[in-house]
Amino acid sequence: MTVLQANDIHKEFSEGAETISVLNGVSLSLQQGEIVSLEGPSGSGKTTLLSILGCIMTATSGEVRVEDQAIDADDPILLQETRKQSIGFVFQQYNLIPALTAMENVEYALNIKGMRGAEARAEARRVMEEVGLADKMDSAPRDMSGGQKQRVAIARALAGRSPILLVDEPTANLDSQTADQILELFRRLARSENRAVLVVTHDPKVRNVVDRVLIIRDGRLCN
Amino acid sequence: MIDLARKILLYDKLRFIITVCGVGFAVALVLVQTGLFLGLLDNASITIDHLDAEVWVAAKNTPNIDFARTFSDAYVNRVRSVEGVERADNLIVWFIRMALPNGAQEGVEMYGMERFVEWGMPWQVDEGNLQDLRRGRYVMLDDSATKRCGSFEVGDYREFIGRRMKIIGRTHGALSFTTAPVAFADMQSIQALTPELKGQTTYIVVKLKPGADRQRVIEEIRRRLPYTDVNTREDWSHNSKLYWVTSTGLGLQLACTILLGCMVAIIIVAQTLYSSTMEHLKEFGTIKAIGAGNGHIYGILARQATIAAVCGAVVGGGLTFALQPVMAKLDLKLLIVPGFWLATFVGTLVFSLAAAMISFRQVAKLDPAMVFRT
Ligand SMILES: Nc1ncnc2c1ncn2[C@@H]1O[C@H](COP(=O)(O)OP(=O)(O)OP(=O)(O)O)[C@@H](O)[C@H]1O
Ligand SMILES: [Mg+2]
Repeated sequence: MTVLQANDIHKEFSEGAETISVLNGVSLSLQQGEIVSLEGPSGSGKTTLLSILGCIMTATSGEVRVEDQAIDADDPILLQETRKQSIGFVFQQYNLIPALTAMENVEYALNIKGMRGAEARAEARRVMEEVGLADKMDSAPRDMSGGQKQRVAIARALAGRSPILLVDEPTANLDSQTADQILELFRRLARSENRAVLVVTHDPKVRNVVDRVLIIRDGRLCN
Repeated sequence: MIDLARKILLYDKLRFIITVCGVGFAVALVLVQTGLFLGLLDNASITIDHLDAEVWVAAKNTPNIDFARTFSDAYVNRVRSVEGVERADNLIVWFIRMALPNGAQEGVEMYGMERFVEWGMPWQVDEGNLQDLRRGRYVMLDDSATKRCGSFEVGDYREFIGRRMKIIGRTHGALSFTTAPVAFADMQSIQALTPELKGQTTYIVVKLKPGADRQRVIEEIRRRLPYTDVNTREDWSHNSKLYWVTSTGLGLQLACTILLGCMVAIIIVAQTLYSSTMEHLKEFGTIKAIGAGNGHIYGILARQATIAAVCGAVVGGGLTFALQPVMAKLDLKLLIVPGFWLATFVGTLVFSLAAAMISFRQVAKLDPAMVFRT
């Protein structure tokens, strides 16, 4: 079943008098249980596309459908509800909340998504263990390495069982052994929990675990 | 639910401490100013509140207890015969000039009665015997007079309008809003001091029989003494206070202080929340990107405002509480009125939430896509 679909997405940014067009008609679809990678040179618009698919940014034109619902870019409540219900997002810059510990970052995301109390705590703990951070639960983000922060960001996206995972450069800061584990985890989540995973990456290793590879160049997807 | 509001506040500990201190001082400013004012105001009716009389008769339009006017001291008989009156007596309150040993003069507020003891007046006698006042030209001076009139000993003599009187006792707690020292003497010795008071009194105080209908007694006294004001103790006490609040501008001055205190508190909370929100904007963007709505973020800001307000109120209240004994050492009465404290705390909370509104607007228009900007 198709859980995420994009049709003819265009995105322009205006900077002063200039407009730069980053996406020039991107169409793609993502199935349940599928893991897909998105590759492309730096500045090619990968993060931009991912954020439009994740309903965090809106496209200049084109249609996004999430779990068979067309997303109206002018409806901020619908965008917010879709992010909350359907999307797990791993930010390239991690975007952890410094005032919270690693585990609290995960638990808080669960709180936002509607899971509370002991249930949220248990789920946060489970996911933290899954990404190999059982011993870093109570660490503050500022005391963690780039790779550890990246794993917290991943845990935060995994928690709460969102059907769609959008992951921006998950292995950029991981050693190859941890990277393998994380990629294997994504693959397992796609297979056993039937989630759809889209991974933006420069890492050639990612190709080993994905079902399909998408390449973006000059604002278009090419095969 | 993770308490992000509190964690962010504690993450910026120094800022939080400064905010709480700021709000605390603003709260203390309002509480101390008002407490001192109420303490002063308390003096305006302290004798009325202590004297054991339910009804006060005064010359028509007497504004407060200190600014007394005279009427015949024979009227008291007409009051005594009113049904329901257990006893009624004359009370003179009059400003008398007292000569100090160094040649200077001070106005003293003299209270004169025939039978002080029966009326529970004065209520605290530290030295001397009240009964002795009737035996001659004697006076008891309140120890608060020391500030204006220098120290005195029981047994000293002082001149009142040129007549020597012996100080035979020392009282405590008898004060006047005018800050003039209070003294007690026998009714007749005061009347003898000045021709103005010959055969005159300034008040008639009335004690009712148990179960008597106070309103009926008042009506009857009014009928018999048409050129006087007849008040209940409570009304007379209230009027004596109100006079100083309204006719001196002191009330307005206090209102200004309270207003300024509130403004300071609002500005401190608004400024802190605003700068904290701006500093954590990226985190609020992330929270939005994860799926939180504006309501959720409003909740965080409102909670931060509430925490700042409550901690500030506790600090302000504690500070005021701690200042009370210090003020007392300086002879300043700081009155703590629970109702007013409650109102101040509620006001602090409301104003802090109002201050959070400025930050609400910032996060409402926050675009979650800002998380991708570095
Ligand atoms: N908010 C914005 N305003 C203006 N230009 C933007 C904005 N966001 C992105 N861009 C531009 O769009 C282009 C694509 O950016 P994007 O971040 O999507 O690239 P990317 O493929 O993720 O790159 P990288 O591999 O370095 O992460 C870049 O040229 C960038 O400067
Ligand atoms: Mg990128």
